[in-house]
Amino acid sequence: MEHPSQDSLLKHPNSITYESPYPLYALAISHSPHRVAVGSFLETFNNRVDVLSFDPETLTLKPQLPALSFDHPYPPTKLMFHPSTSSPNLLASSGDFLRLWDLRDHSAEPLSVLNNSKSSEFCAPLTSFDWNDVEPRRLGTSSIDTTCTIWDVERGVVETQLIAHDKEVYDIAWGEARVFSSVSADGSVRIFDLRDKEHSTIIYESPQPDTPLLRLAWNKQDLRYMATILMDSNKVVILDIRAPTMPVAELERHAASVNAISWAPQSSRHICSAGDDTQALIWELPTVAGPNGIDPMSVYSAGSEINQLQWSAAVPDWIAVAFSNKMQLLKV
Amino acid sequence: MATGLQMEERVPENLKKKLALAVRSIQWSYAIFWSISARQPGVLEWGDGYYNGDIKTRKTIQALELNADQLGLQRSEQLRELYDSLSAGEASPQSRRPSVALSPEDLSDTEWYYLVCMSFVFNIGQGLPGRTLANGEPIWLRNAHFADSKVFSRSLLAKSASIQTVVCFPFLGGVIELGVTDLVLEDPSLIQHVKTSFLEIPHPIISKKSAGAGNTRNDKNPACAVLDQDILDTKLVPHVQGEELDMVSPNNSSNGFEPNQPAEDSFLVEGMNGGASQVQSWQFMDEEFSNCVHHSMNSSDCISQTFVEPENDVSVPKGEQVNDHCLQDLQECNHTKMCFLDVRSNDLHYQSVLSSLLKSSHQLILGPYFRNYQRESSFVSWNKKGLAHCQNPGGETPQKLLKKVLFVVPRMHVGDLFDSPEDNGIKDVVWRPEADEIGMSNALAERGQKEKLNERFFTLKSMVPSISKDDKLSILDDAIEYLKELERRVGELESGRELTEVEARTKGKSQDSVERTSDNYGNNKTNNIKKPLINKRKACDIDETEPERNRVVPKEGSTDNVIVSMTNREVLIQMRCPWREGVLLEIMDAISNLQLDCHSVQSSTVEGTLSLNIKSKFKGSVVASAGMIKQALQRFTRKC
Repeated sequence: MEHPSQDSLLKHPNSITYESPYPLYALAISHSPHRVAVGSFLETFNNRVDVLSFDPETLTLKPQLPALSFDHPYPPTKLMFHPSTSSPNLLASSGDFLRLWDLRDHSAEPLSVLNNSKSSEFCAPLTSFDWNDVEPRRLGTSSIDTTCTIWDVERGVVETQLIAHDKEVYDIAWGEARVFSSVSADGSVRIFDLRDKEHSTIIYESPQPDTPLLRLAWNKQDLRYMATILMDSNKVVILDIRAPTMPVAELERHAASVNAISWAPQSSRHICSAGDDTQALIWELPTVAGPNGIDPMSVYSAGSEINQLQWSAAVPDWIAVAFSNKMQLLKV
Repeated sequence: MATGLQMEERVPENLKKKLALAVRSIQWSYAIFWSISARQPGVLEWGDGYYNGDIKTRKTIQALELNADQLGLQRSEQLRELYDSLSAGEASPQSRRPSVALSPEDLSDTEWYYLVCMSFVFNIGQGLPGRTLANGEPIWLRNAHFADSKVFSRSLLAKSASIQTVVCFPFLGGVIELGVTDLVLEDPSLIQHVKTSFLEIPHPIISKKSAGAGNTRNDKNPACAVLDQDILDTKLVPHVQGEELDMVSPNNSSNGFEPNQPAEDSFLVEGMNGGASQVQSWQFMDEEFSNCVHHSMNSSDCISQTFVEPENDVSVPKGEQVNDHCLQDLQECNHTKMCFLDVRSNDLHYQSVLSSLLKSSHQLILGPYFRNYQRESSFVSWNKKGLAHCQNPGGETPQKLLKKVLFVVPRMHVGDLFDSPEDNGIKDVVWRPEADEIGMSNALAERGQKEKLNERFFTLKSMVPSISKDDKLSILDDAIEYLKELERRVGELESGRELTEVEARTKGKSQDSVERTSDNYGNNKTNNIKKPLINKRKACDIDETEPERNRVVPKEGSTDNVIVSMTNREVLIQMRCPWREGVLLEIMDAISNLQLDCHSVQSSTVEGTLSLNIKSKFKGSVVASAGMIKQALQRFTRKC
């Protein structure tokens, strides 16, 4: 049960650590070749995205050779590789704009900078985005201007823009090709169907009005379920879209606030969450919750508050976490 | 058999109809007629049955409107068909599927129970039906879902289906079994009633109650969702190798029976363990084996699925295979005389039948990854004690980085501040016309502008007390609060005082200070001119803390409210002056004109007197003397 100090080890049979000169936040993992993009978090204009190559066989994780890294204006709020294996070199980032990058052998070329505002040369700042894995030319961004923008990234045009919430939209997740969901500072989870843009469905509202919901994860293995986290809360709220307003479960074993959630890419019943208590917890959702709540199945303790978590379909038996200036791949 | 019935006649005609009427009249969930097996004399097997419990989905496309009667019969038949098709084995896995109206995903828990019952056979004297037949006496079993499996071999199944009461009584050489999800006290007259009113009369009475309505399952109410947790608690992570299995823990929603739970759980685990090692080829790495999975699909209810139904037909062939396997096991088990083994085999039966029938998309895929977790996984089993050890960084802002990403970073990008719209009138989504052109823009070009803005923000921040955070939003929030506070104070003072009003000074304001004011706080200034001022009331009594400083002692009696201390290039200014709107700005401007760069400003207004503590530094090479500074600032103290 003991775990060696994370600081001393860069490589351990079941976890691999990358230490960056900067604090890290955004993370993305690609299909083969397995690459990990890490975004710095510096509260200045100059930030950086580094691309590492990851070999699950030899358990190596190192900066790609020749080095592949590029400047990013402001910290990327999210990084994501193209969801299909056909375009493993396409990386998207959000922040001041939605940017697409083409990762070449020696360099990363900015492909496009997408601005969702017609009227201004400035884009409303983007808090997050999600790439539709069913329809990969479709990508949705969430913004603090209360809108969600659906892009056709192949054509580089806005497909539609919806005023999704009453307040800032903090996260967005696709369910199917035309259905997405978002969470907001207004405390609601809403589902949108692009075929009927007039309406949205409120799936959940935070118990105290206007407690912002910060992150959202849609269970890709069983689309009836999604998970969200609240501001300053140690709960992971599991929702069943068929039963709006009442969460089907609340996972409350974190000792401090939760920062990130990710459903298992290969199982409909497993979800991982990470938080300020430095722990990453893997939960298995029972069919029926007991009176004492649900206990997690397993736990990993990092050296400090875990800020980011990705359980990617690209490497389903690895979970990537970011804390302070480290990125770690954990064997599940 | 003592009954002497011919095998061919073991299921009386019209029995299904009679069962239907009987069970519906008493509003129970199901009725089964167990009859002597034709193939294996001395064994009771499924003869016929009628299902009257709740129904999850109706898939059939019906041309005709069926009445409740027909619907119920049809459902029972469809269930039977489904069972036949599932147990038909792998003979023609692809071809037979379409003929079945129902698929496993469509069934409610009670229907599962009913369906799985079809696979049971009982020796005479064994199990509930067997004993009923042997004794010739009815058996009334309450709390069937908690019954010892020696008494009621399907107790685990019953638990999953919330079947609480089961009644068996001999009938026509076989046994009629009735079951219901409610707890019903023993009532011989009910049996009599059923027997005489329905089963034994030729012409059935029309029942009043339509099928399916009576038996509400509890699991529609999420609040009742208790239980089962203990099972799941028992250390998950199965060490299963080889075939992945979908272990089924009873996924029921029976409630209010917690006291019995632990026993049930350990029993289940033991049973599964035993069963597994006995029949299946699963290997266990240690004794920690425990059960994990449960079928969620079928626990759910009739809420319509708004958006998506996960597609999962893939796994059918596998399910069938397992199914055959376990049906075969079942046969073996039933021939075993040892009660002990029966217990286990029944659990296995329960588990494997369900798991195979239910088989759908969710499997314990994590199993293979977890099986060696102690060696390979970074994760360790969770336990409550772990909580105590984990660091809980106290005092820190929770979700610090996440909040920065969401709240602060977006504001870094923009010169314009995005206020969240408060127009709560429009709730529903409107969308803007499609935008076909995209603005490619260069953020860098805007940096100059942003820097200026940042500078102004910095100034604003330095002027407002109690600014906690550095982000622009907080600065503005605090500034707004501060202004409100000041306005409130003005209001108080204006209404409360009877002092002579003093006209604001309208001239002599330095022009350059006006120019230096940015838009952000320009408004404050433009409104302030005519506002009355407050007489200063307090004399200066600021403590001097650093005596070694080059101190300029104020000379003028009543206006000695400016103290300037200099240490190298650091200048500490303490002053008091009558408060009026905009005075702070003017002071700041004046200080700025003296080539002083403020890095900390504390201000407070008490009874119309503005007290300021300013720490500043010379920014240029020209250094004003303390006297000059004082002189420049004293005009503010005199203004009234």
